[in-house]
Amino acid sequence: MAKIKSTSSSTYKGETLSLFFIVSLVPALFVGAIWYGYTKSTHSDSIYLSFHSLVLPVMALGVLPAILLSFLFAELLHRPVRRLQDAAREISNGNLSPKALDALEGGEFGEIAASFHQVALKLEQSLSQAVSETALIEAERNKLRGVLNSMSDGVFALDGSGRVILFNKAAIELTGRKIGEVAGQLAEKVMPFRSGGELIMTRWLADQEGTGHHIGEWKSLELYRADGTSLFVDVQAATLHEDPNGIRTLITFHDLTKGHQLEEMKIDFIALAAHELRTPVTEIRGALDILASDAKITPVEDVKWLTHATNSAEELSRLINNLLEVSRIEHGSASYDPEPVNYTEYLKEIVADTQRHIVESGRTFEFDVPTRLPKIPLDHDAIKEVLGNLLGNAMIHTPSGTNISITVKRVEDTIQTLIHDTGDGIPAKAVPNLFTKFYRAGEMKSKTRGTGLGLYISRTIIEAHGGKIWAESTVGEGSTFGFSLPIKSPVAHVSRSKDNKTNNITRGAHGWIKTHTIR
Amino acid sequence: MAGSRHILFVEDDHAISEMYSRILIKNGYEVDFAYDGAEGLQKALNKHYDLILLDIMMPEMTGLEVLEKLRGEDGSGAPDTKIVVLTNFAQDETSVKAQEDHADGFIVKADVVPSQLIILLEKFFA
Repeated sequence: MAKIKSTSSSTYKGETLSLFFIVSLVPALFVGAIWYGYTKSTHSDSIYLSFHSLVLPVMALGVLPAILLSFLFAELLHRPVRRLQDAAREISNGNLSPKALDALEGGEFGEIAASFHQVALKLEQSLSQAVSETALIEAERNKLRGVLNSMSDGVFALDGSGRVILFNKAAIELTGRKIGEVAGQLAEKVMPFRSGGELIMTRWLADQEGTGHHIGEWKSLELYRADGTSLFVDVQAATLHEDPNGIRTLITFHDLTKGHQLEEMKIDFIALAAHELRTPVTEIRGALDILASDAKITPVEDVKWLTHATNSAEELSRLINNLLEVSRIEHGSASYDPEPVNYTEYLKEIVADTQRHIVESGRTFEFDVPTRLPKIPLDHDAIKEVLGNLLGNAMIHTPSGTNISITVKRVEDTIQTLIHDTGDGIPAKAVPNLFTKFYRAGEMKSKTRGTGLGLYISRTIIEAHGGKIWAESTVGEGSTFGFSLPIKSPVAHVSRSKDNKTNNITRGAHGWIKTHTIR
Repeated sequence: MAGSRHILFVEDDHAISEMYSRILIKNGYEVDFAYDGAEGLQKALNKHYDLILLDIMMPEMTGLEVLEKLRGEDGSGAPDTKIVVLTNFAQDETSVKAQEDHADGFIVKADVVPSQLIILLEKFFA
C-alpha cells in the first residue's frame, strides 16, 4: 500500500514541475507577441528593424525569471510531497509513527499529514492486536504441545477418514516409528495390533458416525512396533464431534511393559523366596530324619545333627523376619529408635551366640574391638539384625576351616565395623548389586544362598542411621562387609511407636512385653 | 542291598549333600561328589554312573544345563544312567523343563527326607 503511494507522489512531482514552467512561460510569450505585432504594424522599417532587434532580449528577459520562478514554486510544492513520500517509505519499513510527518503539521499538507497519521495509527493498532493474538495462539499451542509431549501415554488424533492429524512424543516412541511415517497415515497402519485389534479400530472409526462425545473402555492389546517387536498396551478411543473437519477420534495408549516387568520380578521373587525358605526346612527335616531313623547313631553325630537342625531353624526365622522387614520398608512403616549405646559391650553381647556357633562349626573367630569407644546412637534391634545378616552370610558362604573376624575402628567421626571371612569370595561384577532389592531374583546360577533381602535390609537400616555400607571381595580369598555409623546421629530421635514409652512396652525380635512396675 | 551302585551327587551346598549321602553310603551306594554344574558335567562324562542327583541352582552351570548336555539334543545321551533332579527350586517351569529334557525324576528336597529319598531311588534299581 505504501509503495503505491510513493509511486504516485513521484509522478506528481514531475507534473508540478512542468505545470509551473508552462504557467510562467505563457505570460512571457504573451507580452513578447503583443510587442512584436505592435511594432510591425505602426512603425517604419527602420524603426521596425530597431524594435525587432530588441524583441529577443526582451523575451529572454521574460522567460528567465519564469524559469527561475517555476523552479522555486516547484521546490516549494515538492518539499511536503517528498516528506509524505518519506513518511510512506518509513511506514512501509515498519515505523508507524514517522518523523517526516511532524514537519508537515499546520501547513497546507497538514490535513493530508493528519490523515496519514490516522492511517498509521490504525495500522499500528491492528498490527499490535494481530501480534498479541498470534503470541496468545502460539503460547496456547506451546502449552498444548508441552502437555502432550510430557505425557507418558501415547496420543494419536484422527480425522474423519481415520488418518493421523496430531500425535505426541510418547506415541512416536511407543510405536517406534518416525514422524514422517505417522503424520497423515491411516491409524491401522501406524498402530497395528495383534489379533482382534483391527476389529476394535474399525468400531472406533464407525463410532464417528454417532453424535456426542463418547469415551470408550480401555482395552489391553499387543501393539506391533516398527522394528517388529511388540508391546503390551492399554488402549482407549474417544470420539469427538466439535469440529467436523478436525479431530474425530482420539486414541490414547499406555505402556504396560514396566508393570509387567515389575510383576514378573515379584513372581520370580516369590519363587526364589519359596526356594530359600525350603532350604532350611530341608535341613531341619533331614537332620531330624537322621536322628530319628538311625538307631546306631554316635553321640558325636547326634550333637552334630541337632546343632545343624537348630542352626537351620534360626536361619529360617531370620529369612522370615527379613521378608517381614522388607514388607515394612516397602510400606514405609519401618522406623528406628536410636539410643546412645556402648558399642563395645553391645557387640560382645550380640556376638556371643554367633561366636559359639562359628567355633562349633569348625571355623575360627577373631574379635578385634577397642575397649574404649565413644557412645554411638543406634537402634538396638535394627543394628542387631544387620550384624546377624552379615555374620550369617559369612557363615553360609564359608566352608569349615575358614576364619571369620570382626574388626571395629574409629575413622574420623564414624565407627567402622568390618566383617571379614576367608571364604570363596564374590565375583567382582556381582559386588555392586549386592545391596539391591530382588537382585538375586530369577538367577539360577548362584553359589550364594539367600534371597538377597538381608543385604538390602541392612543397607536400609544403616542409611537410616546416617551411615554407609559396602562390600569388598576377591574370589578365592574371601569377602569383607563393612558399615560405618556416625558418632553423632544426623537424624532426629524417631520413636518406633509413641505408645512404647507411655505403655512401658519393650519390643524385641520376639515381639513385645509390657513391663509394668509393681508398687 | 544295592550292591556297588555308583551315584554322582551334584550339589553346591555341602551340608545338603552330606545329609543325603550319609544314608546312601550307609546303604551301600558308592557316592562321588561334585560341587558345581561344570564339575558335575566333567565327572559324568569321565565315568559311568548308575544315577546322578542334580541340584538346579548352582554356580558355573545350572543343573538343567548339565541335564541338557548329558541327554543331548534328541535326549538319547547317557542311556544307562538315571538322572534325577533334586532341588528346592521347584517351579512349574523347572519341572516341565526337566521332563522335556528327559530327566528320570524331579524331587523337591524340602518334601523328601533322606530316608524317603533312598526308598524312591531304590525303585530305579528294583
